[in-house]
Amino acid sequence: MVQGPMEPSLRSQANTTEATIEVNVNVANFSTFERKKRTRTEKRIVELKATLEKTFEQSVMCNLYPRTVIQVDIHVLAQDGGLLAGMTNAMTLALIDAGIAMYDYVSSVSAGLHDQTPLLDLNSLEENDMSAITIGVVGKSEKLALLMLEDKMPLDQLESVLAIAIAGSHRIQDLMDTELRRQGNIRASKMTQS
Amino acid sequence: MNVSDVISITRPTPATIDSDVDMSDDESTQVKLSIVTPGEMVTDDPVWMKGHGTYFLEDKTYSSVAGNISRVNRLLSVIPLKGRYQPETGDHIIGRITEVGNKRWKVDIGCKQDAILMLGSVNLPGGVLRRKSESDELQMRNFLKEGDLLNAEVQTIFNNGIASLHTRSLKYGKLRNGIFLRVPSNLIVKSKNHSYDLPGNVSVILGINGYIWLSKTTNSSHNKNMTVNSNANKINASGDPSYVPGAGSVAITRLEEESSWEIYSDKNDPNITNSVRSNITRYNNVIKALAYGDLGITEQRIIMGYEASMAFSNVGSMIDKDAMESICQDVINNEKMRG
Repeated sequence: MVQGPMEPSLRSQANTTEATIEVNVNVANFSTFERKKRTRTEKRIVELKATLEKTFEQSVMCNLYPRTVIQVDIHVLAQDGGLLAGMTNAMTLALIDAGIAMYDYVSSVSAGLHDQTPLLDLNSLEENDMSAITIGVVGKSEKLALLMLEDKMPLDQLESVLAIAIAGSHRIQDLMDTELRRQGNIRASKMTQS
Repeated sequence: MNVSDVISITRPTPATIDSDVDMSDDESTQVKLSIVTPGEMVTDDPVWMKGHGTYFLEDKTYSSVAGNISRVNRLLSVIPLKGRYQPETGDHIIGRITEVGNKRWKVDIGCKQDAILMLGSVNLPGGVLRRKSESDELQMRNFLKEGDLLNAEVQTIFNNGIASLHTRSLKYGKLRNGIFLRVPSNLIVKSKNHSYDLPGNVSVILGINGYIWLSKTTNSSHNKNMTVNSNANKINASGDPSYVPGAGSVAITRLEEESSWEIYSDKNDPNITNSVRSNITRYNNVIKALAYGDLGITEQRIIMGYEASMAFSNVGSMIDKDAMESICQDVINNEKMRG
């Protein structure tokens, strides 16, 4: 859920030249297979939050909204791998829905390396088993806004993994775009009626 | 995939004349498909000036929001389908005081930043033409305090995007005797008048920012003139020999003074009948239903929705999904019948 651009709660938060993006991540206890208590201050979650903030600071046109805060609340109700990728895509769509100006979509997908074969969009079992990487691609370009590698990956294999991940991200961007257009056209047709 | 077709259609052809011809050729497709999404190239012709919702890179203009393209002469902008309310001078809006500051109130009007209501741009007790003194500054909280709702007009937009409001008219001011609700601001259709009296003794103010105020109808505008007249009559009747036409104005200013304090009172009207209360909630739910169905909210539609809602005897049951859908359907059917 996106709130804002809005007046910051504290005067000190305000940046006179551009908007501040604030992400709150809430992972539900029941989101995984095993019930597990999670706190907001858990290290992984704090890192995810920081990563998302950094990613979107670049692709949102923050300079248009000076002295405001864009607050995004993400609730993870169910997860089975690709947590960061899912959150990134959801956040892109949420920001577009809120009418916030962005340079381009940020589409994200996770990829891993099994032996020599690169794999796309891992579930949590696969994610735990092999080295996984999550990337975020800006629009249809090959520019990366986000790259997260939590363990090791052989450098000579990295390129092939990245290639498949970028292709996957482009595909996801297509999917998001079609859906957005479908929704947008429905909305626009209603607008013309009124 | 048909995405590529869509993109090719939405791109405006560089020459304006051509695009006009295109529009007249197949207007229906134009209307249906004229949506762009962020990062989509709008045009690669550098003659277009970039407006809101676009950005410019290497002689190409791209869209930065999802919305419709609008062209005004050479200016190309994309209007987002949904988004924050953007204030414009002259908008009739509803806001809530968030902060009392130095000679000004801060008002939440649902836009990016809080608007400002200067002490100098409100009607204070004691007539319109009155200087604001220091004592007024000290008792600002007596007029409007945090959490109060008011309706106002946008006076100007400062260059940093903050709106400045004014309430210098009898139709603006503090709100009482009613209920507040908010809907997405894009559903409110701009029109000349934004306050309506509805059947069932209920008035509505549709703020352009999507804030709506439903309240009991007060026949204040009629009443005031009536009392002024009766006062004048009284003066005449008392046969005061020194009566001159100017003396009537004294009575008016005094009346204004009294009524002005009333403008800022916090007391609700004690005798709002139960039927009015239930009508207000009924309208509240009708508007919620219209917003749920993504229908633009106009006076006509609210009345039609109200009539349709009579099928539900229990006002509370109207916010069920099915009920809201059926109300929207009724409104649409009704509109089709009337043409």
